[in-house]
Amino acid sequence: MKTLIAIFVWLPVLAQQPAAPAANPAPAAASTTSDAASPVPSTEPALTGSIDLGYVFIPGVGGSYDAYRSIIDVHQGPKLLGADFTLADPKHHWFDTIQVRATAWGAEPSSSAHVEAKKSGVYDFNADFRDFAYFNFLPSYADPLLGQGVVLDEQSFDTRRKIAALSLDIRPGHWWTPYFGWDHDSSSGTGASVFVTDGNAYPVPNTQRDSTDLYRGGVRFERPHFHVTLEEGGTAFKSDQSLYQNPGSVNFGNFSAPLFGQTLDLTSLLAAYGIGGSSAYSKALVTANPTSWLDIYGQFLFSQPNSNVHYQQTDAGNLYLQSQVLFYSSEQEILNAAAEQPHTTGSLGAEIRPFQHVRIVESWMTDRLHDAGSAASTQTLALSPYAALPLSELIASTLVTNYNQEALDIFFDGIPKLTLRGGYRYVWGDARYAFLPPEGLASADQEQLRQNIGVGSATYRPSQKISLTGEVEGASSSGVYFRTSLYNYQKVRAQVHYQPLQSLSVTGDFTLLNNQNPLAGTNYDYSSHQESLSLYWSPRGGKVFDIQGSYSRSDLKSNIGYLDSGNLSSQLSAYRDNSHAATALIDLNWPHGKRFAPKLSAGGSLFISSGSRPTSYYQPIVKLRVPFGSHVSWFTEWRYYGYGETFYLYEGFRTHLVTTGLRLSR
Amino acid sequence: MTRWHAVVLVLSLAAAAPPRAAAQAPQAAQAPQAAAQAPQAPTFAGSDTCKICHEDIYNSFAKSPHHPLEVEARKGWQGRACESCHGPGQAHTEGPSADNIRNPAKLTAAAADKICLTCHLNQPTHVGRLESSHARNQISCTACHKVHASEPLVARKAEAINAQCGSCHLNVWAQFQRPFHHKLPEGDMSCVDCHNPHGSIRPAMLQIFAANEPGCFGCHGDKRGPFTFEHAPVRFEGCQACHEPHGSANPRMLNRADVRFVCLECHASLPNAPVKVAGVVPPTFHNLLLPTFQNCTVCHQKIHGSHVDRNLLK
Repeated sequence: MKTLIAIFVWLPVLAQQPAAPAANPAPAAASTTSDAASPVPSTEPALTGSIDLGYVFIPGVGGSYDAYRSIIDVHQGPKLLGADFTLADPKHHWFDTIQVRATAWGAEPSSSAHVEAKKSGVYDFNADFRDFAYFNFLPSYADPLLGQGVVLDEQSFDTRRKIAALSLDIRPGHWWTPYFGWDHDSSSGTGASVFVTDGNAYPVPNTQRDSTDLYRGGVRFERPHFHVTLEEGGTAFKSDQSLYQNPGSVNFGNFSAPLFGQTLDLTSLLAAYGIGGSSAYSKALVTANPTSWLDIYGQFLFSQPNSNVHYQQTDAGNLYLQSQVLFYSSEQEILNAAAEQPHTTGSLGAEIRPFQHVRIVESWMTDRLHDAGSAASTQTLALSPYAALPLSELIASTLVTNYNQEALDIFFDGIPKLTLRGGYRYVWGDARYAFLPPEGLASADQEQLRQNIGVGSATYRPSQKISLTGEVEGASSSGVYFRTSLYNYQKVRAQVHYQPLQSLSVTGDFTLLNNQNPLAGTNYDYSSHQESLSLYWSPRGGKVFDIQGSYSRSDLKSNIGYLDSGNLSSQLSAYRDNSHAATALIDLNWPHGKRFAPKLSAGGSLFISSGSRPTSYYQPIVKLRVPFGSHVSWFTEWRYYGYGETFYLYEGFRTHLVTTGLRLSR
Repeated sequence: MTRWHAVVLVLSLAAAAPPRAAAQAPQAAQAPQAAAQAPQAPTFAGSDTCKICHEDIYNSFAKSPHHPLEVEARKGWQGRACESCHGPGQAHTEGPSADNIRNPAKLTAAAADKICLTCHLNQPTHVGRLESSHARNQISCTACHKVHASEPLVARKAEAINAQCGSCHLNVWAQFQRPFHHKLPEGDMSCVDCHNPHGSIRPAMLQIFAANEPGCFGCHGDKRGPFTFEHAPVRFEGCQACHEPHGSANPRMLNRADVRFVCLECHASLPNAPVKVAGVVPPTFHNLLLPTFQNCTVCHQKIHGSHVDRNLLK
């Protein structure tokens, strides 16, 4: 890690020396242009930007505070609401510009910071950091005890995820450019989970922690008629999770009914996962235009992640072993497992322009993945203080998928203002998986994928003010992997954009998807469509007011048969979702006065749905900004959140948020 | 591995080979193309001439990332950056009509893109162009990139990116108004965190992670695996087999209101069914009348894949 940071710090410094001569031709040219031609005129201040500091008040949350945290999760307190600065060096000594952006620091569900530093032709450095709070406690998701009046989510969590990325390009804009990068993703926190045994399942607390680091380096070669990028990288992964129940308490689990006259319970538990993994990958990208009528594109991507697992479990209570119809009082298990997943992807394509108004795009792609895993476990069950039952098991698993796609599109723009496209795509592949030794119904299977897809589209642009686009896609399949996969489907998309005035634009959008799988035993019938309309009006450049708004209506119907596992009778799963969503914002500006020009904004969004999960979600907002001089402005914002569910009234909430603060700018 | 390394080595050698003579002079490769349209020598008017009438654009362009074209000789357009896109402007200066100058905004998307790709085709950004639905649907580069504007050429802030994408993808933005969504309306994420607008080898122009894995794993590393026991849909059809990544009224952004239907709609095949699809019916002790068995993920908690248990129980 320290080495990596040292590389990032020193590479820009070292890179400056050899690249300095490249900047020499510029002064002569610059001298022929005006001062305004300089990217950063020396008359400008070195530091420009703004910072928003404020305080968020939350008078209280009505309804479910857990649902509020699961969806909103903003907390009261002082905050750095935002910052956006640019530091420019007029002498271009160490850098041209450094840009810093930050959002929402201080008891917020998510915070971010971003830094970009660049020196033209020498280096380009980016750093990004984000911190997300992940809280989820919604009993409607996982509450097997709801029938007993217990409101609980047995799959909940309260974690934070931190994501960081650094990237450094050296000599950007030159014909060869080395680059390096590091990405980090980690999560830690607590939650509720379930310890599953034969005959019962026990909700228990858990802790979880995982991290992934990705290191990469490569070089880009960019020439007038071709480009090649070569990259090598790797990842390191670690995950530790533990489920526990301290001795001294009795957990009766989700099944309280006696089994063979005995009540099952859990009196102590410690289950710990130790998972580590790594991967190496290679990437080669190619583009070329060897002639004026031919462009070639190609990619070769290979990765080979692997993982190693050490799992330990110790538990006690009155427990049950289904396979031998035995009750036991404690258990110890040790499991070691490993998995490897070579994954190869390649694509090759070309755009051919044989005639002035005709383009032919041909592409081929393959994606092959092979996962092989094995696990060896040993268990010792204590049947009584003097008798133990040792068990051991070795399981191997494989999962293989090969996906292939070949597509041909022909574009014709010989008719003025109109571009037509017709295309055909063939998708084929196979997938198989197996377990050894076999157990139950799902030990081995193999499926095939075969789809023929036709595409047609038209883009009509009679003037700069209006454009119309329509696209139709239809497919016929003879094999898919899943019952709910796209089978015989039709997709339609149409969009119209009309801008009668520079200040006024209207956009309409329509999408439709029908999917049918008539095969016996499936009978899948799915249809959805969405219609949307948006408006933007900003007369006189928004000096007095501007309005923007959008409205969408969607309708989804899904019917598919399934088997009731209890008696294998045919049942119907019917899902409906009819919704309305709208957003709007009106900005009012005080047109008089340059130093005192308050701005009032009002609007918000709403979502209302009916069907399988009727929901309403309102977020009105009013903002006021009052400048005091040219460097300070005061702002305040009122926001309301109202969330309700017809079937799960106990998860509704409503709250007000009031934010006020100062923007300091220069 | 050895075979793939050999391929990479060959490509490396090809890339490192001396460039062709024609490629050694970008100016020679590009300028004649424009010159061929108007053979007279003084066809280029020069940017200073453009400035006389278009001063606001000229000044704005001075802060654009394209401005090095104007001042750096090695790009081949020194002193005439305007004409690198608009073509030779001498005729326009002599007869200042819009008909005498090339305006990319009035061209078809393909023709406008061709101007951009004259310089930008051979960059890694465009390697997925053939898979890009933007390119296939005549969405030109200038629909997103404001060439004349001062900075930024492309939106950088999450809110600005989302507003730009949402101005065309209205129905997608509407989905983000649902209660369970990725944090785009809050400005904590942007569309390009998940999608590559220039095209990608993954469906829906998804970003990629570690060469060829779905970009989802860039943030959800704990779901990446490889698992000892995989759940096939994650690998075969991706996260969207069960989730609505843009937003849903259902917790965890699931595509069904009840967890059991997310599972049972697939897990309904008999092992000896004549038509092979993945997902067999659960064993008979799953009494779907009991709430416990209506919440499949209570027990099958490692639904994305398990390192330990073949039934995804732990």
